[in-house]
Amino acid sequence: MTPAVTEAAYSCGPVRLELVVEDASLAGALHGFLAQYDTPWPAIATTIRVAIEGGGAPLGMTEPSGNYLQLHHLRVDRHDRGLVSLGNLGVSMEFDLAHQARIGVPLDRPLPALAEEIEQQLMLLLTRGWAQAGWTPLHAGSLIPPHDNRCVLVCAPSGGGKSTFISAMLRRGWRTLGDDKALLRHEADGVVARALTRRFHLDPSSSRWFPEAGDLEAWPRYSRWTGKRVVRIEGIWPDRLMDSAIPAGVVQLERAPAGPHLAVEALDQIGVMNTLLRQVVLPADAAHARPLINCVAATAAPVRGALIRVGDNAFADPAIAVRLEDELRRLLA
Amino acid sequence: MHEPSDQNWILRPDAVATVLTDRAVILDLRTKFFFSANPTGWAIIQMFETGATRADVHAASRTWGANGVDEAAINGVIDQLLQEGLPAPATTPVAGAPAVPVAAWVTPTFSKHAEPLQRIMVSAFDPGLPLAE
Repeated sequence: MTPAVTEAAYSCGPVRLELVVEDASLAGALHGFLAQYDTPWPAIATTIRVAIEGGGAPLGMTEPSGNYLQLHHLRVDRHDRGLVSLGNLGVSMEFDLAHQARIGVPLDRPLPALAEEIEQQLMLLLTRGWAQAGWTPLHAGSLIPPHDNRCVLVCAPSGGGKSTFISAMLRRGWRTLGDDKALLRHEADGVVARALTRRFHLDPSSSRWFPEAGDLEAWPRYSRWTGKRVVRIEGIWPDRLMDSAIPAGVVQLERAPAGPHLAVEALDQIGVMNTLLRQVVLPADAAHARPLINCVAATAAPVRGALIRVGDNAFADPAIAVRLEDELRRLLA
Repeated sequence: MHEPSDQNWILRPDAVATVLTDRAVILDLRTKFFFSANPTGWAIIQMFETGATRADVHAASRTWGANGVDEAAINGVIDQLLQEGLPAPATTPVAGAPAVPVAAWVTPTFSKHAEPLQRIMVSAFDPGLPLAE
């Protein structure tokens, strides 16, 4: 650890984080996580000042039970004074649900693991900040046909093939807001989706289908838990990144290792709602969950949806991308 | 056997409802199960937002066009709502409310989706369990 107070500011979509970090090595370790939110944003809606200090949870802090949110590595409670969360390694956060947060870090733990737990806390801070600014965080990719401002939202769990599916369409001239993150907002004339990051997370093995991507192994690793690489997509397929689009279709993407290369079923409105709800983190607090659920419903109501199952190695056959493009256009027709 | 006829029920605050084009979705934030209702099912549920008895619902249903043959379906929706614990017994006097208008009476439906939403999330942005790569 390197005791030296470091100040840094990051504009992450509509939220600006101002960090004051007691430890310079921690500040360096967090840079990659926060710098990923590099999409230009028209205006900053709110600024949150975050003090990251050694010492772990404050004395007298009641261990959270997860009554607000339970994450794999964090338990989050809501109190009168805001959110209180505690991670498995002992990284704690108090957030006043306005402009101030304090993250307490037990500095005797290994730096990589500490940084990951602090990132989890900052993710919680950002998602709440975005929601309070009127945006619904959606864990989904998107595809926008050429000469159009409407998008198909591509939903799947991590590892479900979103980045590969989207890359296959980028090669055919489609554009995107990103491969796994977007913000939605219900405005007077409908829902708008906006991009947060210009970086994709691609598995190096996908270069066998997309040779123009080159040696994906050469890009930085996304995390120590996955072989995926953080790829600046503009370097491979220029002019494919958009800042905003109108959601007009939803795809629930499934991998079908033993199935045919491609199978498509229509989703009804409840199916679309189900698909989208599974891509949104909903806290147990009704006042916080309600605007997110209403935004998902406003997104689901006017769109067409499809469940698309893609077999392993499907993209080795160029005809599959053509068929997928037809299916996507059908959703937007 | 039903509850006392004057028992008022009120939707729990952590049962959050939202409306799609011709359906409503109710999400139970406690269990993470979600439910869908057709317009008449939704009209019934809305009565519990401000508090209602079973008799209130039947009376309102008659004004919407229900008749004797619909009673079983109406009771079915109420029974399922109560079984799922979405309305709770009102412990204070309820405001009650005039029934919302219903364009055309159809048999009310209320369905539970088989799979609950995730209870434990990967991160504050990503609710899903990652698949093996």
